[in-house]
Parts: sequence; structure tokens; C-alpha cells
Amino acid sequence: MRVKVAVFWGCCILASQYAYEMSVREVLPKLGVELVDLREALCCGDPVRSVNDFAANYLSARVLALANLTGLPDLLVPCNRCHFTISEAKRAVERDKKVREKIVGMLKEEGLEYNPNIKVWHVIDLLHDCVGLKSVGKAVVKPLNGLKLASHVGCQIIRYSDLGRVDDAENPRKMDELIRATGAESVDYNEKLDCCGSHLMLSHPDTALSLAGGKVKAVQGLCVDGLVVSCPDCGLMFDSKQKEAGTTVGAKLNLPVLYLTQLLGLALNIEQEKLGLQLNQSPVDQLLSKVSA
Amino acid sequence: MGLTDLMSMAKPNLESREKILRKLRGRELINCFQCIKCTSGCTALKLLELKPHEIEKLVNFGFVDELAASDIIWTCVTCLKCVQRCPQKASPYHVIVALRNLAVEREANVPEAFMKAVSQILETGLAEAYQKVTTRKMEACDRESLKLPKIPAPKEGFQAVFLKALEER
Repeated sequence: MRVKVAVFWGCCILASQYAYEMSVREVLPKLGVELVDLREALCCGDPVRSVNDFAANYLSARVLALANLTGLPDLLVPCNRCHFTISEAKRAVERDKKVREKIVGMLKEEGLEYNPNIKVWHVIDLLHDCVGLKSVGKAVVKPLNGLKLASHVGCQIIRYSDLGRVDDAENPRKMDELIRATGAESVDYNEKLDCCGSHLMLSHPDTALSLAGGKVKAVQGLCVDGLVVSCPDCGLMFDSKQKEAGTTVGAKLNLPVLYLTQLLGLALNIEQEKLGLQLNQSPVDQLLSKVSA
Repeated sequence: MGLTDLMSMAKPNLESREKILRKLRGRELINCFQCIKCTSGCTALKLLELKPHEIEKLVNFGFVDELAASDIIWTCVTCLKCVQRCPQKASPYHVIVALRNLAVEREANVPEAFMKAVSQILETGLAEAYQKVTTRKMEACDRESLKLPKIPAPKEGFQAVFLKALEER
């Protein structure tokens, strides 16, 4: 199966979480998904939501209008926060005639057209529901047997269900199934639905780091080989800021954290450098040596 | 200031309450029956003492001006558990967003980072600046050295329209 989708990266991936972008760009085409970049880089509106709800909806609608320019009916949004912000905006535009008319008019001023029919995907449902577990499993050339991992699906792609989300809100399984498709084990644990805290980096950074540190500490206690994430904010908190997070919870943290697409890339035997694995700040070498052994 | 202190001299303002209900585009908030499912699962309860059911009750009572001026509305971590679990669809998260928007309109107590993000978007289209990162071996990298494509900033004309959007209430 081959499919072509437009891709919207948001801010965090384009500005710092390069490993996620690199691994998505490497892995998805090998699983039959061709990616088409949008014409421009843009914020989805997430931080603007707290300032002005309408302006946030305008930015999200503008993302969909940029996607419309590609002529493709599907848009991949690998960031959880962007995925939620755009989904909320879609709903507001659909349900509120006044908002819709204003936004459609504003986009027209820029020569852009809003298209309500663009389907928004995340990496997890695109791979699980569209590509399919079977195809992912078939593409694995280097099974990751023996790896024991914990998954962190994040908050905003699973909540709230009324909006239509990627997976079940209280018992998400798709990410675990994708991990298992590589031959690795994915464990259940009590803190699975705990939040990474990233939104609080804007107002209460110490608390944000404590939330992240608390979760990493708990996962470390499970004696797993690593924690798998699929959102750039979660990656930022658990990987890039792991050391800082450790100081807020009084623990020495050394848990390998990697993106789902990096893990899949390893199972597809893609060079580590191409997956951005040199960029992870957490000690992923422990995990990598186990994979190559 | 804690909510109790804020309330000590407070008088309900039903006009402000109506404003929040208008922003919410629905009146489900008034159906809140204080089951406290939101607070019992709140991520920000543990460390920042956010109690979403209190926010719901205070808005329903009309103490909106006090909430919009309070820093408690900026402690929400947006994990959305309260929206998911509310049996009355009275979504505390959306109430908090509406209160934040009101706080911005009134130039109250808004954490600087939010306004910074807005001006960054006006300037470049993105809420964050492109960063140089390092590998675990401390080699500096950027998009170019990692062979990631350049994605252009929004075309001219975006800025004016975005500014107009920011004026909408």
C-alpha cells in the first residue's frame, strides 16, 4: 500500500526536536507513506489559545488552508499539541457560523481557501489504522526481540474522546501494539497516563520539570530498557530536559528515551545517524548496544 | 494570592459570568454538580493546588472577575483529563481557557511567555526560534548540518491578518 499525505510539523519539531523530524522523514516513506511539506512553517495556535481563542482557531484553519494547497486529503500532524489544537479549531469552525464566516473571509484575504474535509492524522493512527500493524511487522528486518519498553502516548491525542481522538482515552493500546510489531515488549505501568508537564514550561517551569522527573523516575523503577514517546513536547521534557528534571525530584535519572519513529527505524535497520539518535540527550547508548548485539 | 483571600471581599458579577458563557458557546457549565471527578484526576492538583471543581462553582456563582485576576487559572497543564471525565460536559479546561482570554483582555496577571509566543508568531510564523542543538558527544548541529529542509516563513500579508484575528473577542 502506498499513500501520499501532507505533513505539518508545528514549532517544537521544526525548531528543536530534530530527531523526531528526521526519523519521521526516514521511516514513513519506507512504510509506504510519502510526505509532502506545506508551503510555509506556521504555529498551530496552541500558545495563542490561552491569549485569544479566535486567533488560535484562525492559525489552525490557516494550517488546513495550507494543506489544501497540496491537493491532498490527508494531513499528518506528528505533534500531539498541534493535533489537538487543529482538531478543536476544526470543530469550532464547523459548529459556529460566525467564526466560520470570519475565518473563511480572513483566509480569502491571503488567497487561501479553508477545506473542512482534510483528515488530520497522527503518526500513531496513520501507522496503526492506515498502514496497518501487519505491514509494519512485515517491514521489520531487524526484530527488536528482548527489548523491554514503556510507552508514553501523551495527553492530547487521546483526550477528549468527544472530539474524535487517535486512541482510547483511558486505555490506549495502539502505540504498544506498534512497539510490539517491532518484536520488542511494551509493559503496562501505573503512571502510563501521567502528563509530561510541558505546557507549564510557559508559566511554572519548576513544576513542569517535577512532573516530567516524577514520571521518568517511576519508569526507571520498572527496570525497562527505555521509554518511547511520540510527541515533541514529551520528547523535550523526558529526553532533552531529563537531567534538569532529575534535580527537581532529587533523583539521578538515566533512562533512555526515544521516539516511536526512531524505534521503528531501528527495526527497519536504518542507520542510527539518519534517525537522529545522536541527538537524544538521554543515555540511549545502553539501549542501542542491546539492539546491535 | 490564594482563592480564599480573593473571595474575602468579592461580590458576584453576573455580567462577567455571561461573558464566560458566551465564550464557551454553550451553557453546560451550569450543569456542574460538583462530583469532583475533575479535581480528583487533575495533574496540577498535586503540585499547584488547582481544583477545577472550585473554578466551576466560582464561575457559576459569578466570581469571574476574581478568577480572571488570579494566578490559579495559569496552573492548568492542559492534560484534558477533566474534559474527558466530566459527566456533565462542563469542561473545566474550556472554562479555564475562557478565563485566561478574559484575563488577557483585562491585561491582568498573564505569564509573559504567552505574550512572547504571540509576538514571535507575528514575526516568524513560529512560536519558537530555531535552535542549535548538540549531540551527546557535544557536537553542535542545526537544521542545515542535519540536512533538514528549509521551510519558509509565512508570506507577506499574514502578519496583518493575524493582527486582525488577535483583535477579535
